[in-house]
Amino acid sequence: MENGKDNPYLAEVSGLSAGYAGRTVLRDIGFRVEAGSMVGVLGPNGGGKTTLFKVLLGELAPFEGSVSVGARCGVVPQTERSRIDYPVSVLDVALMGTLGRLPWWKRPGRVERRNALDALGEVGLRDLSDRQFGELSGGQRQRVLVARALVQDARLLLLDEPFSGLDGPSVKRLSLLLDRLSSEGRGLMVSIHDLEQVRDWDQVLCLNQRQVAFGKPSEVLTRPVIEVTYGTRVVMLGDGNSGRKTGILPAHHHDGEGRRGDV
Amino acid sequence: MSEVLQAIFEPWTQGIMQRALAEVGLLGLVGGALGCWILFYELSYSAESLAHALFPGLAVAALTGLPLLLGAGVGVVVAAVAVAVLGRAPEIGRDTSVAVVISALFGFGVVLALSPASPPGLQGLLFGDVLGVSNLDLLLAGALAVVVLVSLRLLHGQLLAVGFDRTTARSIGANPRLADIALLVLIGLATVVAVQGLGNLLVVAVLVGPAATARLLVRRMVPMMALATFLAFLAGVFGLYLSYYAGTAGGASVAGCMVVLYLVTLPLSALRRERRKLDAPGAGSPDLIPEATWSDLDV
Amino acid sequence: MYELVFGPFALPFAQRGLVEVLALSVGAGLLGTWIVLRGLAFYSHAVGMAAFPGLVLAGGLGFAAPIGAFLTAVIFAGGLERLSRGKKSGYDSLTALVLVGMVALGVILASDVFLSGSDIDTLLFGSLLAISSGDVVFAAVASAAAIAATFLFGRVWLAAGFDPESVRSLGVGSRFPDGVLLVLISLSITSALSAAGAVLVTALFVVPAATMRLFVRRMLSWQFGSVALVAVEGTLGLWLSVQTNAPPGATIAMLSGAVFVVAVVARRYTRTHAVYKKQSA
Repeated sequence: MENGKDNPYLAEVSGLSAGYAGRTVLRDIGFRVEAGSMVGVLGPNGGGKTTLFKVLLGELAPFEGSVSVGARCGVVPQTERSRIDYPVSVLDVALMGTLGRLPWWKRPGRVERRNALDALGEVGLRDLSDRQFGELSGGQRQRVLVARALVQDARLLLLDEPFSGLDGPSVKRLSLLLDRLSSEGRGLMVSIHDLEQVRDWDQVLCLNQRQVAFGKPSEVLTRPVIEVTYGTRVVMLGDGNSGRKTGILPAHHHDGEGRRGDV
Repeated sequence: MSEVLQAIFEPWTQGIMQRALAEVGLLGLVGGALGCWILFYELSYSAESLAHALFPGLAVAALTGLPLLLGAGVGVVVAAVAVAVLGRAPEIGRDTSVAVVISALFGFGVVLALSPASPPGLQGLLFGDVLGVSNLDLLLAGALAVVVLVSLRLLHGQLLAVGFDRTTARSIGANPRLADIALLVLIGLATVVAVQGLGNLLVVAVLVGPAATARLLVRRMVPMMALATFLAFLAGVFGLYLSYYAGTAGGASVAGCMVVLYLVTLPLSALRRERRKLDAPGAGSPDLIPEATWSDLDV
Repeated sequence: MYELVFGPFALPFAQRGLVEVLALSVGAGLLGTWIVLRGLAFYSHAVGMAAFPGLVLAGGLGFAAPIGAFLTAVIFAGGLERLSRGKKSGYDSLTALVLVGMVALGVILASDVFLSGSDIDTLLFGSLLAISSGDVVFAAVASAAAIAATFLFGRVWLAAGFDPESVRSLGVGSRFPDGVLLVLISLSITSALSAAGAVLVTALFVVPAATMRLFVRRMLSWQFGSVALVAVEGTLGLWLSVQTNAPPGATIAMLSGAVFVVAVVARRYTRTHAVYKKQSA
């Protein structure tokens, strides 16, 4: 699965269509992720973002098209999906990243522990390595999950709505971290709802059961594209005095799974 | 021919069997109708837990000579309170807490039931004594059944709205809290009624079986409730025939027939759904036997 | 004083019961933590109950009880696992009905086919004071298997429960290890059936581990603590049952439940007390 370093693309997808038994969730997907780039994935819930990640990870076989992932791929899920009541420390969670690389009977040794602590250091949480995972704030837990992916030595990181539920300062901190990771040469695909943040990134992929657009934010983030992506009209609000207009998207419903709030 | 007719009518000439038939009828009414709501709200686990956890109430009643119905009633209340109070430790999870409460209460019930002071008849408590109900028992059970059915009729609209979409229920004037509490109370009452005939290890057969079978065949709520009641009665009668002619234990035969009815209907309805699937694509995982999804319901 | 404490254990059947409890405690305590962690309490209960008709069959046809129990438990558990994949708690109407159907089958087999209706009590609630040496050996083997499997698969089990959707991406398959966990639970529960019976067996596995979890925050201490608690509760329950002539399995279940209640109350009290102290400081 590992290509040579000379291939600049960490992942290449073309003509992809995928779904579950009897139902196609994604069709006509094609894009490339370069090393060192941040790709924002926009789209409504149910639009196929999670399915795409599953295909990239190799968990779901596509119906058609080609997928080539040339680097180890790590996924950073939403913290809400992991168990905060688990009797694990921050270091334990980071060490989970070594699972794939050690045979069953080997415990993580000194080398692995050092790697995990270094990864925690990269995300700014080395001092908290001994604390219970559940005691941390939402933003901190998210960063621990990023550290776990770093321990895996993943060059391509898939982040599933990492900013949801975080407060302003946490968003900023996570954002800086992700910038730094991408400048180290990793590729990041981040599913996100905040259009403002995405403007500073390298590429944007708009999904709504099919690929609506892929390219630079300046080219992709236009009103018609956004309307097709989210399936709703953008509401333009005038700012009384200056005549400037701001567009907002009507709120979307999260699917009925019932997310746990940040504790 | 007359031999067959003779065989069909003979059991019901006896008082025991007549009362058993009445009991089965009550079970069907209560279990079938309420069972549809138990499925809709996914309360099967709660229903079974309540049934198991009221066992010490039965044991105390047997020990002190009080009517079983009373013991069951008190047992249900104690069990519900215990689960509410102890079920909140976050590290453990609700299912686990419920399991803890059940096994502790059951243990307590067994200690009481097997103690030397207790009259024999543990198996009656566990598996029911459908052939041993008295007229008084039937009267009390009948009264409870009426309460359950009337409540269901009055609450129908509320239950439907809350069960269909909890989050928007308030906006149309429904009250999720009320629906939850009402259902749990009704399940408690129904369990108390059914525990006499089926015992608390088998009660879940009538609370879940006929409704689950009806759900495979019918898509709208009210017809489903009616069908479930009918199927419950049908299976119950079959069970009584089996018990009469094969000599098998009464409660277990009735419960067994309800389960068998479901298991037999399951593949038949799956076949029908497969054929329908070819016309209209729908979501579904391939390795699960598809159960009716509530999105098909025209409520 | 000495007579009071050790008197009951001078009796040989009580001694065997004690050995059985201690042999079971390792498996029950250790697997109990995995059961509570991975939310498998219902599964364990179902496995225990599903073994009931197997036990009746074994008694009636004359083959070893553990084999009958393990067979039905595994068949049921395997079917349940397959059918419950994708559902939230693994519990749905099919599960409930198959389980109650099996209990009904067991009752009919016992009371009407094999006419062993009098055995139903022991099958359902155990006979800790009538343990054979074979039972003790079985329990010891199951406990040893639990230790070995935890050593081999513990980290995968932990990761799979922590974040089931990402486990694949961490580079391990969790299918096989999870399958091993389910089979191991079936095995251990089967080994405890002779002591606690089909209905009460979860009291040994789930309740002590849940109690310990209220106080302990790391896996290793939780595991050691649970094993110790099973041993203590089992011994104390056995002692109580001999003194009061009560059924041993049920006594242990009741005792472990009481300890749990005390633990919950104590914890809530110390919590509010600590908060109050902080506020007034």
